[in-house]
Formats: sequence, structure tokens, C-alpha cells
Amino acid sequence: MGKPSLLPLLDERLPLTEEKVAEAARLAGVPLAQAWGVVRYYPRYRGLPQGRLLVDDPVARARGFALLREKADGTYPPLGLEALAPSYLRFTPEGRFVEWEGRLVPFAEFRLPFALGHGERLLPPEPVESLAQYRSLGGLKALEALQKGHLTPEALFQAVEEAGLLGRGGAAFPTHIKMRAVARGEPPRYLVVNADESEPGNFKDRFLLEHHPFLVLEGALLAAWAIGAERAYLYVREEFEAAIRGLEKAIGELEVAGLAPVPLEVFRSGGLYICGEETALLESMEGRRAEPRLKPPFPVERGLWGRPTLVQNVETLANLPLILREGPAAWRAREPKLFSVSGDVERPGLYELPLGTPLGEALRRAGGEPEALQAVLLGGAAGVFTRDWAFPLRYRERLPLGAGALVAFGEGVDLWEVLLGLAHFFQEESCGKCFPCPLGTAVQVEMVKRRERNPSLVADLAATLKGSLCGLGQSAFWAYQSLLEVEGAA
Amino acid sequence: MRLRVNGKEVEAHPGTLLLEVAEVPTLCHHPHTETRGLCRLCLVEADGRLVPACATEAREGMELRTETEGLRTLRKTLLEWLALTTDLAQAPDLLALMERYGAEPERWGEVPGRRGREVLKDNPFYLRDYAKCVNCRRCVDACGDGIMGVYALTLEGRGLLAHPTTPLDRPLPETPCVFCGNCIQVCPTGALRPLSMEV
Repeated sequence: MGKPSLLPLLDERLPLTEEKVAEAARLAGVPLAQAWGVVRYYPRYRGLPQGRLLVDDPVARARGFALLREKADGTYPPLGLEALAPSYLRFTPEGRFVEWEGRLVPFAEFRLPFALGHGERLLPPEPVESLAQYRSLGGLKALEALQKGHLTPEALFQAVEEAGLLGRGGAAFPTHIKMRAVARGEPPRYLVVNADESEPGNFKDRFLLEHHPFLVLEGALLAAWAIGAERAYLYVREEFEAAIRGLEKAIGELEVAGLAPVPLEVFRSGGLYICGEETALLESMEGRRAEPRLKPPFPVERGLWGRPTLVQNVETLANLPLILREGPAAWRAREPKLFSVSGDVERPGLYELPLGTPLGEALRRAGGEPEALQAVLLGGAAGVFTRDWAFPLRYRERLPLGAGALVAFGEGVDLWEVLLGLAHFFQEESCGKCFPCPLGTAVQVEMVKRRERNPSLVADLAATLKGSLCGLGQSAFWAYQSLLEVEGAA
Repeated sequence: MRLRVNGKEVEAHPGTLLLEVAEVPTLCHHPHTETRGLCRLCLVEADGRLVPACATEAREGMELRTETEGLRTLRKTLLEWLALTTDLAQAPDLLALMERYGAEPERWGEVPGRRGREVLKDNPFYLRDYAKCVNCRRCVDACGDGIMGVYALTLEGRGLLAHPTTPLDRPLPETPCVFCGNCIQVCPTGALRPLSMEV
């Protein structure tokens, strides 16, 4: 990086005082005004909430939210715990805890149970926590081949292109195009792993980070080496503390073994949904409020510190070693995708399924009976309600797959209550930089509260939110519009 | 080079902003600051894609549409939402735009807004009336990177409640502010006003 980044400097000084903010600004070489704007933006610098908090996710909303709420002092944004059950957190001056099976588990130690993973074939059937274990399963061969010159960057790009890998973060952009564009740019170049998974209902990146850190790191190193990156950053959601510790340990093992050809560094994310938007993510790394940039220019041209930057999702990168191991044609024949399945199914969890699997089949795999369900929320908050059980789970189809969340809602669930939760989520997470999003998400909450079904109002809300600067505002009405369609079809 | 604006051929120099070849409303854009692409009132359709006219350069052969039904709806609705949440009494340009686009704010019902904010008077020169602020950031930019480089203003909060503030939320005389008046000059809504104008 060009200079010390403001966010880590502030993190080191928590809890903050005015003097500490001024000191961090001096060390980062930025005006106090900028540092103060940052402090007044991110929740963790303003002071974390205290008390017993209900994780406000779609599953909690479907399980009698008002009653659950009565036992809580407040709510907390989703944490990737959605598959488990409605969860409470306890935040005290002494520490942060997850209430889990009647116990208080320190927040820093909480990991998703491995039993949630239902890997078909490509993901190993057990967590892989040491370098020796990863190697014994055939890991690191691709990275070593690349380092020794037995595999050229161009051959890697070619394999990714032949495999047809599309970005797994939700935008589904062809990965090889981004990689090649960055590799063509003037150095220095960077790789940023987007590990800021904050989409309600999604927990696949968290699972990969917590249980398969070497797979993620090998993928990141393959990409970083191939594009000629000077450095690779893992931008990890700051609440995933167990994942951060595991990644740092794994990075240490790779370095000792001489298997980290590009320096790797973990960067604690700003801790907001918008931080996963790739340009907002870069803003936060550069020490500013995580607000989306105008595009163009795109990060592949002008990314971190204005340099060509490849920003890729965790799952996308984790697929690189798998593509090279299986061969692009064999990988493409399977097109593995991780789906986070939660809600009213017997075995909620993470499922590796081929793209194109019908929605109903994916639900049955998790012990759900589609015909007994009211609807599924496909994709997360920036997703849609649907009852189209024949829908093939594939990118660039009629419905958005997003990052691959399926939240099932059985009979008796008040879907408007779930929708209200999503509307609140967007209102809370809007950064406020452009005009349509903060205004429209606030208007949307009021409309959902009064269960507004007037088609012309909903259409105008949608038309206006579509004009937002980034995907957050542009997708904020999808769930609303789709619920009206599901109701209309019922 | 040549492009078409609503079907009519127009001549433009390379580097010309779409704003200069098409008549579209703007709010956040100001020639002396770098704020652009925020208010989205100047969105136009360029070759079928929505782009902000204040931040997009004209290209040879571009097909521009500036008043489609979708764009009119977007502008009308945005103006309605601004009127519902913000005191626009001293923003005559916005009131005129509301008339032009046939805005009917009341069709949305009640929306909690920015209106309840107290006027801040902490110096003899001007006041900050954030109930009238649409958060266009022109003042923050004029004070910082755009014109003055003194950085006496920054932003507080997120979402609808985001608005300008001072470093450490201090009264203006305790900040680097030199009372140059540039922030007042660029404010489009009367949220920053010289005290001499108050009755």
C-alpha cells in the first residue's frame, strides 16, 4: 500500500477517543475531517451495540420475530448463522458472545459447524486445517507448477476461460476477462479477495474460510501470481474472527514452506453490507467511508490506490485449484456451485450442486418438500421470492442466483414480515452517497409496513431505485416486487 | 464528432460532458467542485444504458435519450421523495423542477425525514440548517479537495440521515474553517446561509 491505511490504525486504538482519532489521522497522513467522517460511518468506531441482540435475518423473521425480539435489547445484522436457528448475541463491555445451544461461545471462537457442509465431491469431506493435510489431499500442485514455470499465466487464464467460470459473488462476470484485463495493466497490480460475505442467507464463503483456508489461499495465490500482483489482500468480514485467525495461521504455514510467491495479508473489513461492493471495499481499504465509486473506471483499470486490481469472491478463487486439478472440461461438466440452504428444510446447510439443478431438487436434497412451501427467497436480501420449483439454478436465467442463498418458508410464515426485515436491512445498510437509494429504501419500509400493493407506486419505486449508483439500491426492490408476483400467482 | 440527442444530430468536441449537449436537470453537479453522479437527476439513456450526464463524456455516434418515460418517472419520484423528507422552501430551482415534472409528493404517504433538525448558529457569519440539506456534498468538496483545501467539513452517518458535519463535531470557530464563504456559494438548497440574510 502507498501509506498506512486508516482503518487498521483506528482498530489498534479501540475504544476511540478524540485524541486517538487525531493520532490515527496524523499517522495515516489524512485530514482530521477524513478520519472523523470514517469514525462517524462505521459502527465499530461509533461504539458497538450492547446487550442481548437478536440476529435479524430472514429465518428469525419467519419464526415469530416480534416474540423473539421481546427477549432482546436490539437487533444485529445477519452473520451467516441463518442456517442454524434464530440466534442471539450478547455484547458486553467485557466481550462479545454468541448464544449457542444454551451456552455463551466467545464471538472470536465461533465457527460454523462443519456438519453444515454437504460437499458432493470437489470439496473434501472433512475440514482441512493443516498444510500437510491439504497436500496429502493433492493440494498445492497447481501453485507449484505455476511457480516452477510448468504452468504459464496464459495457460491458467485459458483453463479458466474453458471452464467458463463466472464470478461467484453474485455478479456472475466471466473471471478470465477480469484476470486478463488486470494482467495487461501497468504494475504495480493488486489482488483483493472479497471475503466480506454479508448477504442474509449466505454462509458459503464463511464456511470456506473457516474450514478450507488452504483451498482459498491457493486459489488466491494462483490468481495473484498469474496477474503479476505485487500483493494479495484478503478483505475479510471483521466479525469472522475465527476465520481471520485460521487464515493468518495458514498464511504463516505457507510462508514457512516457501509456498507464498506473492505476499498475503488479511485486512479486516469495515463491517457493513456495502463493504462487499467492490469499489466501496477499495474505498475502505484506502481509509475512507465505504461508498461506491462511479464506474467507469472499473477496478481492473483503476482499483486499489488507483492501480489495476483484481477483486474476486472467495468461492470464485477456491475454484481455481479445482479447475486445474479436474481439468477445465471435467470441471465444466459438473459446474459445481455452493448453495446455502436454510429455513424450513430438514437439513439446512451448505450444498455443493451442479449449476442447472432445479430449485425443487435442491430443496429436496436438504430435506425440503417444495410443494409444502410458500416460497423460497433466492439470492438473499438482494434476491427474489419464487415458487418456480422447476427453475434451473443457473446464472443469467430469468431469476437472479446472487451468491447462492435459498431460504425456504413453509406454510404459516408471514412473508410480509420477512419482507419488512429485508426492507429494514436495506434502509440500515444504504450508504447515503447517491440520492435514490437512501430515499427509496426509507420510502420502501413505509410501503411494506402498510402492505402497499398499488402497482403504479411499486413500479415507480422500482424505476427510481434502478437509478441508484450501485447494486445495493438497484436491487433493493426485487424482493418486494417478487413477493407481489408470488401473491398474484397464488 | 457527432452524436444524436433525442433523435437530433449534435456536434461536440472530444471531452464534452453529456450535460453540455443535453438539457437535463442537475443538483449535485457544480463546475467548481468535484461532486458528480450522486443526485441521479441528470441520468440519461446513452446507447440504452443509464448514465449520469454530469460524469459521462460524449462519444462519436452516441445515441442519447434524455426524456424517456422511465427517466421522467425517476426524476418526478426523486423530487417527490426530496420534498417529503427535506425542507425545500429555499431551493427555488427544485420547486420549479417539481412543477415541470408534475410532482405529487403526497401520493407516497408519510416518510420520516430530515426536517426535524435544529438550526446550528455557532459563528457570526453563517448558519447551518440541515433540515434543508439534501446531502449533495458540494460544501464538503468545496471546503476540502475541490476549492479551499482546509477540510473543515466532513460527513456524519449513513443512509438518509447522512449529512455534513465538522471534524469532531466541533463548532465551526474551533475547526480549520476560515469563513471563506465558498460552502455557502455552492449550497443549492439554502441549508448554508449568510446570517446577514436572516431577518
